[in-house]
Amino acid sequence: MMPKLFAAFLCLSMFGASAAVMAQEQAVKPAPQPAAAVASPQAQAAEQLEGARKNLARLTDQTKNANDDDSRLAELKVEVDAAAKQIISISVATRPRLDEIKARLTELGEPPAEGAPPEADVVGQERKRLLAERGEINALTGTAEDLSVQATKLSNGITATRRALFSNTLLKHTDINGSMVMDAIASLTLERQAFTRTVGSWLTFAWNFKRLQLLSALFLSLCAALVLLGCMRKLFFPLIHRELLSEEPGYITRLSVAFWSTMIPTFAMGAFAATSYFFLQVFKVLRPDIAPIISATLAVSVVLVFVSALSNAVLAPKQNTWRLVRVSDHGARLLAWSIFAMALVNVLDYVAGTISEVMGSPVVFTVVKSLIATIIIGLILMAMSLIKPIVPAGETLDGQGRPWPRAVKLLFVLTGVTLIIATLAGYVGLARFIATQIVITGAIVVTMYIGILTGKAVAKQNALADTVVGRYLEKRFGMEQVALDQTGLAAGLGIYMLVVLFFIPLIMLQWGFQIADIEAWAYRIFTDINIGSIKISIVGILAGILLFAGGYVVTRWFQRWLDGNVMARSRVDTGVRNSVKTGIGYLGIGLAGLIGISAAGFDLSNLALVAGALSLGVGFGLQNIVSNFVSGLILLVERPFKVGDWVVTGTTEGFVKRISVRATEIETFQRQTIMVPNSLFINASVGNWTHKNKLGRSDIPVTVSYSSAPRQVMDTLLQIAATHPLVLKNPEPQAVFTAFGDSTMTFELRVYLADIVNGNGVRNDLRLAIYERFKDEGLGAPFPKEELEPEPLPPGPESDAMALQAEAAGPAEITSSPVEAFKRSGTQRRPRRVTVDGAAEKD
Amino acid sequence: MKTFVSAWVLTVMMTLPAWSATVTNKDADAAVLVVVEGESRMEVAISAGGTESICPSGCFITTPSGDRIGLQGDETIEIHNGSAVVK
Repeated sequence: MMPKLFAAFLCLSMFGASAAVMAQEQAVKPAPQPAAAVASPQAQAAEQLEGARKNLARLTDQTKNANDDDSRLAELKVEVDAAAKQIISISVATRPRLDEIKARLTELGEPPAEGAPPEADVVGQERKRLLAERGEINALTGTAEDLSVQATKLSNGITATRRALFSNTLLKHTDINGSMVMDAIASLTLERQAFTRTVGSWLTFAWNFKRLQLLSALFLSLCAALVLLGCMRKLFFPLIHRELLSEEPGYITRLSVAFWSTMIPTFAMGAFAATSYFFLQVFKVLRPDIAPIISATLAVSVVLVFVSALSNAVLAPKQNTWRLVRVSDHGARLLAWSIFAMALVNVLDYVAGTISEVMGSPVVFTVVKSLIATIIIGLILMAMSLIKPIVPAGETLDGQGRPWPRAVKLLFVLTGVTLIIATLAGYVGLARFIATQIVITGAIVVTMYIGILTGKAVAKQNALADTVVGRYLEKRFGMEQVALDQTGLAAGLGIYMLVVLFFIPLIMLQWGFQIADIEAWAYRIFTDINIGSIKISIVGILAGILLFAGGYVVTRWFQRWLDGNVMARSRVDTGVRNSVKTGIGYLGIGLAGLIGISAAGFDLSNLALVAGALSLGVGFGLQNIVSNFVSGLILLVERPFKVGDWVVTGTTEGFVKRISVRATEIETFQRQTIMVPNSLFINASVGNWTHKNKLGRSDIPVTVSYSSAPRQVMDTLLQIAATHPLVLKNPEPQAVFTAFGDSTMTFELRVYLADIVNGNGVRNDLRLAIYERFKDEGLGAPFPKEELEPEPLPPGPESDAMALQAEAAGPAEITSSPVEAFKRSGTQRRPRRVTVDGAAEKD
Repeated sequence: MKTFVSAWVLTVMMTLPAWSATVTNKDADAAVLVVVEGESRMEVAISAGGTESICPSGCFITTPSGDRIGLQGDETIEIHNGSAVVK
């Protein structure tokens, strides 16, 4: 599973990289010159300019023809803008040649002044030729300039036309009077006849000559829709199934059921409409006069399904436990009906408009139809204000509701009245637009809102685990709580994305934007955002991030491979292994970062400037960080210690756990982790108990009274040391008479151990043995306890350890037996012992 | 931390490519360029040693030497002896 994923990721990142590179190349060289045409770039440029001129002329013609077609105009504008860009790039391509000419002309120098000796003929001719060529290029660029101005003018003209078109459609005024209504009624019969004739003849034609195609198109599209519906229902069953529950289902469940039970039928219906239109078109069943009517009918049925599915999902008139808004049963039913009626009237108006357009009926007829539709919608809105859907808190939903709050009621009435007044005053287009927006945009906004609420609810902590889907995932894939939570977050974000990416363009389409506009915007947002004079490309940045992630993964993989396969088998020292591994890690990440930054479009050459500016900052503020960083690199190369070594520096002592680039992690014997900045290891002396080997000396001071014979004491000590299995024979143990005290003699037993880490255990054993042997042999005499003034120990693990050891040594006899002195004063000559004691606790 | 962040932001801002053509006049006299951008044709005077940002989205310029040059909009141009050198 992992390797596949990895491979897929790699492919993707490669693809992203190559796409970015290609995009960059395209940006840099928009007009590549074929090798054959290098001889005369001017001719080629002239040819391209001629092509551009023709293209522009064609676009101008098309613009004139499509003066009242908004969507065509939007597409044309995109083409014109592209043409303008192309014209500039054609002239940019002539620039290198111009530079060459200029350079050569400078080399040739000025023509000789009058009276001066004439120059060589060859030079004069070359200069003439070059000047001619320069003039040619300048003329070409001049043409390009004119063309570019023309293209910009055309583009601006299209924008102006579209703006005028939009305001014309919306604010067109028609006089509503009796004669107009009469005209409309007269054309009604005509249109009905024409419609029946057209549809009848098409049906006859289709049935007689294209029966198979018609039926198969219908069959195929039905199949497609059914398969889609079936699959989605199966896939999303837990999401859209409304169980008959006695109690209210959870909020998320209700939300997501509402969202998906709106989306899924709409998608299925959309698929049916699209496929059936596609198949009818492919099988050539449609005729030009019938195609617009069919397409309008299919489109409005999708809208109708969407609106009714949505109102059904939100209001749930039949299952009040699933209702999203708190309204009474009766009110929900009435509201659902009125919304459906408004949508129906609206879509019928659109279909009727399309029919009139196709049949070539007079415009007044369309106007009158829209007028009637708008008045009906206005009346429905006013009637909706009379519904009593509000249920006070504490009452059941099946009871009698209360009327709307006054503000809502007023809003309904006012909107209805505005619609009716506007349409009667002659602004039918505006009224129709508002009516459509109320129904369709309203529905889309409500769906968006539900979608966003669903996303928010799903993304909440541990929200997914409580839902049907969460339980299913838990059961099916055995997902843990954390994984479920993360899935919930991802799902929530996914729903947000879906909602924003799908519905916002839909609303924009509603408001008269064309698909070409939205595409151009989306393209611009993803490729170049200009802030002042800075240009940001989201695609480039994403490609950069992707490349960095790819580089990171590759580095980690290479590190593991090198460490596990190559270095482990070639028996390389662990320190070297660690250094190489760390070094490769930093190198790889640095490289990946550089590649990512370059791919994201950052100019690294500017970095030099910044580095110069920052060096001052580094001198003051960042010098510690930089010095630690450099020290880390030195540590990696020099390797004064490796992971697992027992090191002492300053006040810190312990085992090295990890060497990273800024600080080194040291674990003390009390298991406290200390981060020691690397510069400390470089600037101060570092003690390493286990640098080359683990051999080390351990000392045990022994204090006896003057009544003992020193030689016997030393012999006994050596004998004791020789019997311990961990004490090395070579270098052999030593017993030394170190000091005369006031009432005691101090000896020291020095033993060498193969592994100094074991020191404390060994010392403990030896001390016990010394105590027992000395007691048996009557060596040493105790000095009174009051004379011994042990150095007070600070409370903590060490003093605890002392207490423990004292206990182990024997509770009562301590005063009447040889005593080991624990001298911890700074005057002692031997290495610090504190740590060795600490190590014992570790063991 | 604040210093760090501002240094970082500064770095990012500096490394971001500038996306309008930058014209620097290296001559001793002021140079007058004719810039055709979009529908408009305008004259831009650049004082001696001065730098000017023009046309972020592509344009044509006519240099004092009489040469016409098409610009993509991301070039750096220097004017030497009245003629433009595109870097």
